[in-house]
Amino acid sequence: MAQRSMFWRILRQLLSASRSRLGVALLALVSGAAVCSALLGLYLDAQSKFTREFRTLGANLVVSPPPLAGSEPALVDAAVMDRIESRRTANVLAAAPFLYVVGDASGRPVIVAGTWLDEVARMDSWWKVDGRWVVSRDDGSECMVGRVAARQLGLAAGSQLDLRAGDRSVSLVVAGIVNSGGSEDNQVLVNLSVAQQLANLAGRIGVVELSVVGSTGQVNGFASQLASALPGLEVRPVRQLTEAEGAILGRIRGLLFWTVLLILVLTALCVLASMAALAMERRRDVGMMKAIGGSMSRVVGLFFAEAGALGLVGGLLGYIVGLGLAEWAGEQVFGMAVTPRWQVLPLTVALSIGVALAGAFPLRLLGNIRPAEILRGE
Amino acid sequence: MFFRIVADSFARRPRRKLLTAAALALGIGVTTATLTVALDVGDRLEREFRALGANLLVTPQADTLPLEVGGVDYRPVTEGAYLPTADLGKLRTIFWRNNIMGFAPFLDVPVEWRISGRILPDSLARTTLVGTWYRHDVPVSDGTIFTTGVASTNPWWRVEGRWFADGVPATQNAEAECVVGSSLAQRASVRVGDVLTVQSGDRTQTLDVTGIVSTGAREDDSILAPLEIADTLAGQPGRYRSLLVSALTKPEDAFSQRDPSTMTPAEYDRWFCTPYISSISHELQEQIPGIEVHAIRQVAEGEGRLLGRVSSLMWLVTFAALLAAGLAVAATSATTVLERRAEIGLMKAIGAGNHMVSALFLSEQLLLAFVGGVSGYALGIVLARLLGQQVFGLAPSSRMILLPIVLALAGVVVFLGSFVSLRSVARIEPAASLHGE
Repeated sequence: MAQRSMFWRILRQLLSASRSRLGVALLALVSGAAVCSALLGLYLDAQSKFTREFRTLGANLVVSPPPLAGSEPALVDAAVMDRIESRRTANVLAAAPFLYVVGDASGRPVIVAGTWLDEVARMDSWWKVDGRWVVSRDDGSECMVGRVAARQLGLAAGSQLDLRAGDRSVSLVVAGIVNSGGSEDNQVLVNLSVAQQLANLAGRIGVVELSVVGSTGQVNGFASQLASALPGLEVRPVRQLTEAEGAILGRIRGLLFWTVLLILVLTALCVLASMAALAMERRRDVGMMKAIGGSMSRVVGLFFAEAGALGLVGGLLGYIVGLGLAEWAGEQVFGMAVTPRWQVLPLTVALSIGVALAGAFPLRLLGNIRPAEILRGE
Repeated sequence: MFFRIVADSFARRPRRKLLTAAALALGIGVTTATLTVALDVGDRLEREFRALGANLLVTPQADTLPLEVGGVDYRPVTEGAYLPTADLGKLRTIFWRNNIMGFAPFLDVPVEWRISGRILPDSLARTTLVGTWYRHDVPVSDGTIFTTGVASTNPWWRVEGRWFADGVPATQNAEAECVVGSSLAQRASVRVGDVLTVQSGDRTQTLDVTGIVSTGAREDDSILAPLEIADTLAGQPGRYRSLLVSALTKPEDAFSQRDPSTMTPAEYDRWFCTPYISSISHELQEQIPGIEVHAIRQVAEGEGRLLGRVSSLMWLVTFAALLAAGLAVAATSATTVLERRAEIGLMKAIGAGNHMVSALFLSEQLLLAFVGGVSGYALGIVLARLLGQQVFGLAPSSRMILLPIVLALAGVVVFLGSFVSLRSVARIEPAASLHGE
């Protein structure tokens, strides 16, 4: 009992006596742990951040009825949208129905794409719009025109466009000119109801495009879920995107993994070096304790306890500092904060304690040196 | 005297000095490695991004508005403009020829088709025949042959069986070949080995099915055949309607978005000599008459953003490596000062000023920075090679320019790392330290 309280008293003494030395060691541990926890946090979050980033490439799932003969596009009841909406999760960034009609604009045939323009704005955020987006899917008086179509039809934002199909016609105001670099450049984009009215196809749509966040596996999983909920329809991942995404993400993840591992090892080694330096300062104390009759295991235990306590405190403080660092880094790299992960805390603390203990390890080697030699100095 | 003290200090404490130099070398090594990879990562990932396919679309300038739904052009073959395939060799003679990774011309022909020995239901009787190249040899005017086609522009296309042989069959009685889109093949139960007859107007052609292709896009519902076959069916020999070009480009930035006509001559030169998607388009349009080049912005934009993210991540990691190196130096230099209180006290007692002592310590540390920096650079090159090999299967090119940068960084790290301990030098009282604490 007395021995135990003596142990704690010496430990307290050790920790409070040489403040500056411990300060240096603690500083090394805290900053090392902070770098580790920030990098680990960033690494664990990078995957989900990057998959979200890929969604700026547009739709990655297409729902369509099986095509009909040759040039006749197949159609499906618009009620499909309700069924898709009811299965919509937070991972579905956008879902937009499309109905294509060949319209007639002052004597020239043009494709009129009817859709929900508010969803398209979210799905195809890369579009450059000269003018403004049509913000509501209920807006039946405005349209957006593709760049090439606008040039050929002589339209600009604000001008009037009369569309005809058969004996039906509609008059719209051009809200914006779209530069998408895709087939939309040749089309007139209107809200779904306008296209349905123009084609006399109330309640019908052609295809549905979805933009779903997730890894290739998750997207394929969502696709098969959707397929079983929508019998008779084809649900196709856009292979161009899903495959390239997988390949590129794999590379990025590999890159991050190896660099982060390298830096973790480096940081551990650097902290180890300074912990070892600190431990060697303690050789005189070890010699003294042995000289007055302390057993080697007890004496070394004392210093390991000291190192362990330092490691624990350093790890905890470092984790907190690292959280801030990771948040800052997330803002810098992804423009949004990194979600803190609980796995980082035990990893950081364990690493920090491990390094601190490893740093104290050389003291064990003092076991077979006689106290007198240590006390004499070398 | 000054140099003797420094030399003495190294001779008397070789192990401590070695430890500091080693820590510094490690830190600088990792920094060099991450820097090398960071500088290289753009090029490497750019190649990876070509898996997303083409980033440029070429169409005839004088074209009518395409009536395109889901990628299928509903214009009749007699309408709209065409471009000659003979001009395509020029893509490899332009200024940016080495950035052109591949291209594939397309011509869509609406056809009626039959599978020999079977009657198809009316709903399947019409489809689209997409004429293109798989791996076609394009003669270039400099005498070389450039092999390209959808194999390089659409690498995610998967074929069961094998691709069609490009071109018109050499011998009269050999059949031309085609591949059938997976979704069409499933609905009409077409298998590899079937013989198809396609008809457009009064022209017919028989085709051997050599494979079933899965593209994940509209081609899944069509027949893909060599461009020459589509040309014959459409009555447009040696022509194509659209061309996909896959080019290595520099991601867009604020500068590349500017209108070239408003640039100063110097800016124009810089723009012209940077492989921006806009400058490559410009060059293509100058060199090949009658074409209009569109950037497929979906791909270009996403690429630029992602590359930006990855490289800023790499800079951050490099910064973390430097921080770790600085940490090691700070810790060792702090213990050095603590250990040598008595020595410092003595120096001060016999008349050395704070500046003198600090200069001594600093020159010691800078010498270490030099040694650690050079060996760290060497270590870093090896590490970068391993890293590049591991991640991209290709070692990054080492850059000599990094050596002075890395040495300067080592100096800065050492200076900042010793700053705190140098300040504490000033606080050492000669009498107290000589007394022993």
